[in-house]
Amino acid sequence: MRILIIGGGIAAVYIANNLKKEDSSLEVTILSDEKYPPYDRIHLCRLVDGSSDINDIKLPLDPTVKLELEQKVISIDKDKKRVLSEDSMFSYDKLIIATGSLPLSLLDENIKNVSVFRSSKDCINIKNNLSNKELVVIGSGPISLEILETLNTIEGVEKVVLVLRSSHLYDRYLSLESIELIKNCYTKNGKVYISFEDEIEDTTIQDNEIKTLKTKKLEIQNPYIIFGVGIKPNIEPFRKTLRCNKGILTDAHMQVEQDIYAVGECAEIEKFNFVAGHVKECTAEAEACVSHIIGSDIKEYELGVSIDMLKVGEFDLVEVSSAKFGDGFEKVVISSKEHNRIDEYFLNDNKLTRFIGINSNVDVGYIESLIKEGNEVDINYLYENRIVGERGRLICSCEHIYHQDLVDIVTQTGIRDFSELAEFSDAGRVCGRCKMTVADIIKDSQSLIDPNMPRKSADDIKREREIAKVKKRIEKFNTLHPRNELTTENLESAMESLDIGEKEVNSWISMVTATMQLHPNFEQVIEGAVCALNRVPIIWLELSDCSGNSEAFIKSTNPHIEDLIFDYISLDYHELIMAASGNESETILEDIIKTQKGEYVLIVEGAVPLGLDGKFLRLGPKGETGYELLKRCAKDAALILAVGSCAYDGGVVAAHPNPTGAVGVAEALDRDDIINLSGCPTNPTNIVGTLLSYLMFEELPELDKFNRPLWAYEGRVHDNCERRGHYELGEFVKEWGDAGAKKGWCLFEMGCKGPYANVNCPTMKFNSATSWPVQAGHGCMACTEHNFFDKFANEREYVEDESHE
Amino acid sequence: MSKKIVIDPITRIEGHLRAEVEVDEDGIVQEAWVSGQLFRGIETILKGRDPRDAGLLAGRICGVCTNSHFRGAITSVEDAYSIEIPKNADIIRDLIAMALFIQDHVVHFYHLHLLDFADVTSALKADAKSATKEAPKYTNKPYRNSISHYENVLEKLNKLVKSGKLGPFANAYWGHSEYKLSPEQNLIVISHYLDALRFQTQISKAVAIFGGKTPHPQSLVVGGVTSVADMLNPQRLNDYLFIMKEAKEFVERAYLADMKLLALAYKDEIKAGIGRANGNFMCVGGYEFEGEEKLFCNGVIYGHDFNNIEEFDESKITEEIDRAWYDENDDICYTDLNEDGTLKTEKKDDKYSWIKAPRYDGKTMETGPLARVLISYHKNNELIKSFVDEFLDETDLEIMDLSTTIGRNAARAIESSYVCEYVFKLVSRLIQNIKYYDTDTWTKYDFEKLPTTTKGSAFLEVPRGVLTHLIDIEDSKIKNYSVIAPTTWNATPKNLDGLRGAYEEALIGIKVEDSSKPLEVLRVLHSFDPCLACAVHIVDTKGKELSRYKIKTL
Repeated sequence: MRILIIGGGIAAVYIANNLKKEDSSLEVTILSDEKYPPYDRIHLCRLVDGSSDINDIKLPLDPTVKLELEQKVISIDKDKKRVLSEDSMFSYDKLIIATGSLPLSLLDENIKNVSVFRSSKDCINIKNNLSNKELVVIGSGPISLEILETLNTIEGVEKVVLVLRSSHLYDRYLSLESIELIKNCYTKNGKVYISFEDEIEDTTIQDNEIKTLKTKKLEIQNPYIIFGVGIKPNIEPFRKTLRCNKGILTDAHMQVEQDIYAVGECAEIEKFNFVAGHVKECTAEAEACVSHIIGSDIKEYELGVSIDMLKVGEFDLVEVSSAKFGDGFEKVVISSKEHNRIDEYFLNDNKLTRFIGINSNVDVGYIESLIKEGNEVDINYLYENRIVGERGRLICSCEHIYHQDLVDIVTQTGIRDFSELAEFSDAGRVCGRCKMTVADIIKDSQSLIDPNMPRKSADDIKREREIAKVKKRIEKFNTLHPRNELTTENLESAMESLDIGEKEVNSWISMVTATMQLHPNFEQVIEGAVCALNRVPIIWLELSDCSGNSEAFIKSTNPHIEDLIFDYISLDYHELIMAASGNESETILEDIIKTQKGEYVLIVEGAVPLGLDGKFLRLGPKGETGYELLKRCAKDAALILAVGSCAYDGGVVAAHPNPTGAVGVAEALDRDDIINLSGCPTNPTNIVGTLLSYLMFEELPELDKFNRPLWAYEGRVHDNCERRGHYELGEFVKEWGDAGAKKGWCLFEMGCKGPYANVNCPTMKFNSATSWPVQAGHGCMACTEHNFFDKFANEREYVEDESHE
Repeated sequence: MSKKIVIDPITRIEGHLRAEVEVDEDGIVQEAWVSGQLFRGIETILKGRDPRDAGLLAGRICGVCTNSHFRGAITSVEDAYSIEIPKNADIIRDLIAMALFIQDHVVHFYHLHLLDFADVTSALKADAKSATKEAPKYTNKPYRNSISHYENVLEKLNKLVKSGKLGPFANAYWGHSEYKLSPEQNLIVISHYLDALRFQTQISKAVAIFGGKTPHPQSLVVGGVTSVADMLNPQRLNDYLFIMKEAKEFVERAYLADMKLLALAYKDEIKAGIGRANGNFMCVGGYEFEGEEKLFCNGVIYGHDFNNIEEFDESKITEEIDRAWYDENDDICYTDLNEDGTLKTEKKDDKYSWIKAPRYDGKTMETGPLARVLISYHKNNELIKSFVDEFLDETDLEIMDLSTTIGRNAARAIESSYVCEYVFKLVSRLIQNIKYYDTDTWTKYDFEKLPTTTKGSAFLEVPRGVLTHLIDIEDSKIKNYSVIAPTTWNATPKNLDGLRGAYEEALIGIKVEDSSKPLEVLRVLHSFDPCLACAVHIVDTKGKELSRYKIKTL
């Protein structure tokens, strides 16, 4: 598929790289009207002050993407799927327009000493006129403030005049106090003069050059004028052929019409009337577009919260803003003269929609979440609940990395420069705006590195973070049942009273860690997690079952069942072992469902018979059907485990001809978030492991397509089988009890279904690793697999047509 | 004014059992109905399958009696094809079965039944030192009888109570006036409740050594067993022996001792005959002991008439469905529950259970350890007799006293102790065979040459009583399959004959002190070790005589 992208900015490059990443067979071409390969406009200032050249700010582009430079697009031909430039023609299957925006100028840009601030060409022009001209910057917004700051810091520049029509800086909604603060920062060293409520009145032009600039208040000889007054979507070549308003109109997939997309500052999402202004917004649009073209995991663009930052000399501005911000807001200003700090909160309908902080110490992440959540907040609440950021200034708004985070990474890992950071964090790499700041921080923190420290890898750091997260989660459970006495601290005495040696616990923990395929470093938190397990209320339902999984579960060893029941697992409702019966047991069930809403784990054993209106199974004082009971218990469960093959897909009960219309739990509930632990019975270790992993990581473990935890169901029995060697050598048991059977040869010819089964039996075995069906000379019957009774439960080699399916 | 008490779910059993009893103004039970509340239709699923696959599937009838049905199915197929299995295979099947007897009985007594007699909250008040003095009254060598051990148990229980999370102990009938043990006695038996949790994981290893795993072992095939490599590995045999040695210790020093403790503490209830059924007992016998003698003798007793024990005759077995949810054509005929969820029992022919009604010579029968012990004892089975006499001596009870709730448990404990003894005989027999180069574990047959139409049956004594598997083969496929499990006998519903089964009969006449806490009902039912998954089976043909099946007993 040929994909053509028009545009040479970050949106174009981002799309090209991501398309290639998703599908390297795509033919991707970028058409740019610039002379240079795509570069990062955010760092244009560095071209002006000469601290970088164009190569330093080049955007990384997949080398297999074809790049056509100096191609100014004239028009597109939708019918023939072609794009025409001044001298060439390009065919496409999919067209993406990412032409960005054009800067506005109030004077003719062809005049020698007039410039905008948008391209590398503009920068070179500005740079060449720094010393022999009177510099004039026009405009009050972030672009003009940025160039103003750059000019202000360049040695040799003696004077810069900022001309603005209004009486505010940065944003018209800022308080006078803030404007004053910003203004002082600029004018402090005497180079900058700001002329408020002023505008151009007249110019004297000679030889295509302005000799005199006359404004309402000033007259400037030999000026060099830089416009930073605003931008508009760059869509002229497309106006005739595509639907346009401010920008090219698109849907939330960024699609304009069949096979044509528009992304970034040139696009306008029709249903939101939204034109992107931030890099983060552009990349999010790009992701929506790429997912739609690739056709998998399709995302729509959603309005989000944007974060802007501007650091000029001593003032440090951060803005968090939502699309819901609009006129009719209420504003709260909290300022501190002493610390030169101003926080401005904007509320629409009592909801926080925007925040601008100058030299603020508020936790930006917290503000962002307040705006995202969109709940009503009252003003007092905002004041009283000011959360001061402890991690210093926000550096990378894309990755939410604060100053202290970077310092921590440096001191923990000993990285030396920005390139080494890549392994640990994407800070400075998403939109690129903070790249140089990040690099500076890394440089400044080098002295803090302990020279004797062992260096950590990215995985180490990641793991440490995960472990910290797990610890936090365990804490949460510890507060769930504050009356429970067992804590990590007194585990030792608890173990003593249970006659469990520390060695026993440690070896169990090692076993579980290994089984769950976690790094050994996790052992330190598993112990805590095990302690917290008994805070999780558990309901174990037996439906159309044989109690085999319950039997297996109480035969769980290491930890021994008593320890499981008494200290590790709070098995509040389990008909097989609970003392209460009848109304009393029903009361327990109702109580858990009501008071532990959203906290309890539901374990279901057995199939759900749906035939006869579910009446093949009736339970409890009121004769509820099994199906009704399941629905009642499932509704508010935090997690549902379907244990055993019957709960997985109906198992033996649903085997042909399925006389009771039995189905598995997920099917009965029509839910796709049930964790299946198939097996007949399920190895108890896999149940305990799944409970632990829920407790530690909250989110479900990685699952296969049947919703079974990968760590337990990934490996094929055949591949991990102790008799695999004999298979390779062609040594097969030919009949039961023959010489090969006595020697433990391969059971494939005796109908072993190991090649069709995925589960960890060969390594875990059963009954304290005493044996498993292959060791007992019988072979596997793939009891973890779908419909196994009709397909695999026999002693013959598997043939497809023999099944009842 | 009579009153109905409904108990559902009955916990601490396998499966879904409901009981309804009608009590008079004094709380005396006048009538009782027990009902199986789950139907799965395993026999229907078995139809049309290869007979050789019956074992793996029928094993799933129950996850508690798992090996019993696995073996039952395979034995019935072997019977149908007249396949004699090698001695070694038979012994290995027995070794698995015997370990299961012990495991089942211990788990039943401690985890499924004990809390009906022992009060956890009372145990908390016990003095650890006094407990060490109490335990030796019931055995010479009490199990883990030390102050520190009892203190640990107390600490553990206290921790549970303090945490406010009693887990499985929550909301039981604690403090009920029918709890008779002293705090120290409660502490002793509950300490063994905890020990037994660990014990049963150990004993299950013994099953797994030759079975591959438990529940649902996977080492039996038509013609023998597959675990030949385990059999030939001396280490495996040694492991098995070691586990059984430990089991013997536990059974003698804890289980049997605790049983004596209960028998003495609840002597009044025993002497009052609480929990006695109609006195009809049945045992098919089995397990080769010495020469012609079997571990269990077969026989039938009517109305506690121990002097006239008939030989068991399978042709006297019939199956009825008058009041079970099936019709004359063996189809399902579900007549539902009442609006309020209670059983329909108003009319004499109201159907109320998924369990069919087996009858022996038209009578309901009790089957299980009590039946085995009574029949073998009165048929002068030398091995069993001494164990029974010793128990009766030490508790000052008579043989008739065993036919009660407590006595039924005593029979189970006595049986456990002689099974432990018997296991060692079995193992040495196996070693003898191997020593003389008999390592056969499978009888060869050519399936293609076997008769395509045939019938077979298996009558086995399994932990809960008599298990029957009947198979009908046509065109080398299963045409009909039928199972009568021990709980089918004991938990049978009434028929048009109005006869109560063992569960229902044993409930009649007991006094329920507090109808909101029917502890007495639970005691009676639990004493039978109900296993409901096993119990529910479709009848093969209504009222059909079984004489046309060949008989095979162990």
